[in-house]
Amino acid sequence: MQSLRYASILLLIVGCTKKPPTEAPREIKLYQNWELQPGQVVGGHAVVSGLGDLSIALKGDAVYAPFDGRVQPHNSSCVIFSSEEIPVYLFRLCGLRSLNFGFLSAGDTIGSGKELQIAVLTRQPDGRWALVEPSKKIIEQMLLR
Amino acid sequence: MVVGGSLLAGGYLLAAFGLPFNLPSSVPKPNTKERSLLCSEIVEPKAVLSREQLAQLMTVPERSQRSKVQEIVKQPYCRLPGLSIRVGATTERELYPLSFDPQTSLLVLYEGQTYVGYGFKRF
Repeated sequence: MQSLRYASILLLIVGCTKKPPTEAPREIKLYQNWELQPGQVVGGHAVVSGLGDLSIALKGDAVYAPFDGRVQPHNSSCVIFSSEEIPVYLFRLCGLRSLNFGFLSAGDTIGSGKELQIAVLTRQPDGRWALVEPSKKIIEQMLLR
Repeated sequence: MVVGGSLLAGGYLLAAFGLPFNLPSSVPKPNTKERSLLCSEIVEPKAVLSREQLAQLMTVPERSQRSKVQEIVKQPYCRLPGLSIRVGATTERELYPLSFDPQTSLLVLYEGQTYVGYGFKRF
C-alpha cells in the first residue's frame, strides 16, 4: 500500500515536470554589471530580481513567446529567450516554472509561475548586453496570447 | 575512361561559367512562402545580397548612421513589421536573401537613423 502511494506520488511529479534543458546555460556579459544578479544567493537567500527587472504578479498564468525563438537555460531561476527575428535583443525571464526549453513558435508557452521578473537586453557594439526599459506593448504580447 | 574525362570537362565548363556543380534538383530552395509571410511590405522581389556586400557590411560598426549601411546593402527584399521592444524606439527590420545561401536571409535592424545590428534568419 505504502509503495503504491510512493509510486503514485512519483508519477504525479514526473507527469508535471517538463523536459529538462538539454544544453548548457547561456552566459551573457552585462553592460551594467551589478555585483548581485538574479539567480545568486546572498545571506542564504536567493536573489530573485535586480537592476532592470520588471516584476509582474502572474498568479500562475503563462508567459508566451513573442516571436518564433528559443528558450535557453541561464541560471538556477532564469532563462533566456532569443529570436532570429530580433537579433539584437534578448529577454531574461526569471521565476517561471514548467519551462519549455528549445525552439518555440510565436504564441507558444515559455512557462508559468506566481511572479515573473523580466529584463530586456540589447546588444552593444562591444558584444555586452545592456538592460533597457521594456515597452508596454512587448510585455503585453508576452502575457496575452 | 571516356565518361570520366567528359565528366571532368563538364565540371571545368560549369566552373568556368561560375555555375554550381550540383544538379538543380539537389539545390535547396528557399521557402519563399514562409519568407513573404514574415514581411509586411515587399520592396524589391529580386533583391539578394552578395558575399562581397555582406563582407562590407561586417566592417560597419553597430550604432553607425543608417545611411552608411544602406549604401552597401541597397534595396531590401522586404520590410518586416516595425516593433516596439524598448520605450522610446521603433525597431525597423529589413530582409535580404543571401545570393549564395538562398535558405538564409540577412535581417538588418534600424532604430531611427541608427543602424543597430544584424542577424540571420533561416527559412
